[in-house]
Amino acid sequence: MCETESQLIAEAKAGDKEAFSILVEKYQKPVFSVCYRMLGTPTAAEDAAQEAFIRAYQALDRYDPERSFATWILSIASNYSIDQLRKNKVTILSMDNDKHAWLAPPDPGPSPEKAALDKEKNALVQAVLADLNETDRAAVILQYWHDYSYEEIAETLDLSSSAVKSRLFRARKLMAEKWQEMQLISAPKVNSAAKRIAHETSTI
Amino acid sequence: MDEELNQEQQRELHGHLKQCSQCQALFKASHQIAHLFKTAPEPAPAAGFSVRWLEQIDNMEKRKNRVILVSTLGAISLATLILISTVGLELRSVVGNFPQMMFELVTLITNWVVFLNQVSDIITPLFRVGAKLLSPVWLYITVFGLSGITAAWTIAFYRSREMQKEISS
Repeated sequence: MCETESQLIAEAKAGDKEAFSILVEKYQKPVFSVCYRMLGTPTAAEDAAQEAFIRAYQALDRYDPERSFATWILSIASNYSIDQLRKNKVTILSMDNDKHAWLAPPDPGPSPEKAALDKEKNALVQAVLADLNETDRAAVILQYWHDYSYEEIAETLDLSSSAVKSRLFRARKLMAEKWQEMQLISAPKVNSAAKRIAHETSTI
Repeated sequence: MDEELNQEQQRELHGHLKQCSQCQALFKASHQIAHLFKTAPEPAPAAGFSVRWLEQIDNMEKRKNRVILVSTLGAISLATLILISTVGLELRSVVGNFPQMMFELVTLITNWVVFLNQVSDIITPLFRVGAKLLSPVWLYITVFGLSGITAAWTIAFYRSREMQKEISS
């Protein structure tokens, strides 16, 4: 943790909201990303990310400075999203759900083609994650998008390292099966998008 | 896949993948998913996220302060209400019993007046009879006798005190 960050945390602990808002500015993207991948809609992600920062601000006295602030805040965001999914049984966006399947990501690309491709990819991501349970989904998100080690995931989700390994193994298998299913189903949008990714990987 | 396999294990895995089409398909699918995850755009919140957070915190604090203020005012009102009710009940009991209390006071005073009248009625004739029976000479002898005894006792008292002082010095 850099000196400025620890200073900001100390100032925030003393009640300086402005100091904490600088930390919010810094970590908004990874926190929002976790919430978005977990909950599937920008609105739910915004609410969850805001709530995660509020909870972090209120729990600053319990924050251990030895621990990375990023890990701590992502842990709050992941656990809050898991709770939300369990409580409300939020249905993650699915490719089968025509109403929401092509919902725009919060920050579309510059060109219309890029924006359309990003939409497709985001919808595919959400569809792949859809069948995972809340904790497995969080483990996958932390590993793939935040490069967390097994130990870091275990610490974040309050699991043992071996439990994380077995959860990720199971999740990968489920996602691979889902991916194969998606390539076989008849929906033209899904089929073409999945095939495009398959083509991209084969050319790599 | 997690770079956890040693060279021997990796050789074994690749050997198996060449033979097993099912595992090969799963491996390929996992690879494609990893590629999808890497290339998917990173979602970002709408502009002004931290400003909205600050607004939320401010609103929460305002709500909290309002709750504290309302609770304090509520507690004070409740305490005042209890105080007023208690005092009111006491006053009511005093007010309710006031005529009885006044009646009892008047009765007590009347009884005392009656008692003193009766005593005076008994004593006054006795004095009158005594005054008629005793001649003025005996009255003077009694008065001077009691005065003499009192004077003698007082002188004896002072002398004994002086003697005690002399002995102690």
